[in-house]
Amino acid sequence: MDLGLFVLILALVAILAGLVGSLTGLGGGVVMVPVLLIFFGVPFPVAVGTGSVTILATSATTGAAYVRDRLTDLRIGMFLEIATVPGALLGAALTVTLTHADLDEALLIALGLVLIAIVPGAIARRGEELPTGVVPDERSRRLGFSGQYHDAALHRDVSYQAADTDGALGVMFGAGIVSGLFGIGAGVFKVLALDRYLRLPMKVATATSNFMIGVTAAAGAGVLLAAGYINPVIAAPVATGTVVGAYIGSRILPGLQNRTVRILFVPVVLALAIEVILRAVGLP
Amino acid sequence: MTGAPPVPRRLSDTAYTRMTLVLRGGLIVALALMLSALGLYLVENPSATSGSTISSNPIQQYLSGPGLVQGLAAGRPEAYLALGVYALIATPLLRVLTGIYYFREDGERTMTAVTTVVLVLLLVGILVLGPLIH
Repeated sequence: MDLGLFVLILALVAILAGLVGSLTGLGGGVVMVPVLLIFFGVPFPVAVGTGSVTILATSATTGAAYVRDRLTDLRIGMFLEIATVPGALLGAALTVTLTHADLDEALLIALGLVLIAIVPGAIARRGEELPTGVVPDERSRRLGFSGQYHDAALHRDVSYQAADTDGALGVMFGAGIVSGLFGIGAGVFKVLALDRYLRLPMKVATATSNFMIGVTAAAGAGVLLAAGYINPVIAAPVATGTVVGAYIGSRILPGLQNRTVRILFVPVVLALAIEVILRAVGLP
Repeated sequence: MTGAPPVPRRLSDTAYTRMTLVLRGGLIVALALMLSALGLYLVENPSATSGSTISSNPIQQYLSGPGLVQGLAAGRPEAYLALGVYALIATPLLRVLTGIYYFREDGERTMTAVTTVVLVLLLVGILVLGPLIH
């Protein structure tokens, strides 16, 4: 196929992926990485590298918006990066090493399984919007992991404090590995850590997760770039398209029934995950 | 476990504003570089196909410092594509650096140390681990 046409098609598909990723809350990479593998014949590590670049771009867009609105807890986010960054470095190093060992099929199966594991988290009922009875642990108390934000929906300021930092650090390390291995944001896992372990309000958890995703992706992307697995002729249109799609999604999302949209698109992601696994085991 | 609630601490509004600027500015610079270089690359390579692009990475020779500088000086679109990727990766690093500055300014020694460790891990990973396993 002519390269110009290929780039144009990539950008258009990425807009759609960014839109679906934004509407489902799964993120553009979750849709785009399997699409690159299945429909464009992009090799696994190059698809992962493209996914990392895509996360960097979308995180800078959504992350900046949340920071501007003061919903992001910068202190908690930057503290937890001490776990996601080594995780992402390990994940990306594993991708490079396993690819060199011709174990792409094992990585594809693992990606399919991770995608299937992520979907229920995206459609499940989220945790408490405003957690109550939170008891901060010693580290949280010492570092003053508490804050306040203005909740526009509730028309009031909401105060919060963080609970279990050890549990959150563990989950964040795992989220970093997933991000580095597969080039997806793993936001579902990060929100899980911020919601279930730190027990932050959902709006703060979502904003802080978006803020952290960029630094996690930078760690993985750096390793993949050095290994030659970031091809900007593929990554540039995909990253730009996903950013545009995510922006469109963020504009139309308030007018849609969020849960209905998720239920509508989740089968698409599940189908992609199953197709990735079938390809890995050699079935059409 | 129980006792007095933690004293809320928060970075200044200036820190929030600067981080928003870093993230937005980095993204705009990186995407502008990559898209304009991609346009030039397509013009210079009219016979290129999707197959040849998927099987070979055009920026490979511009990933090293000297290669990148030579490519930029020669006006090679591949070098500018590589520069765009570097700018995108550098954006979160700059954001971490901004955090270190403001934590230090606020006298938060633990958070300054933690964020510095994050920056060191990132730099070691990108500059040492990447080339090492390549």
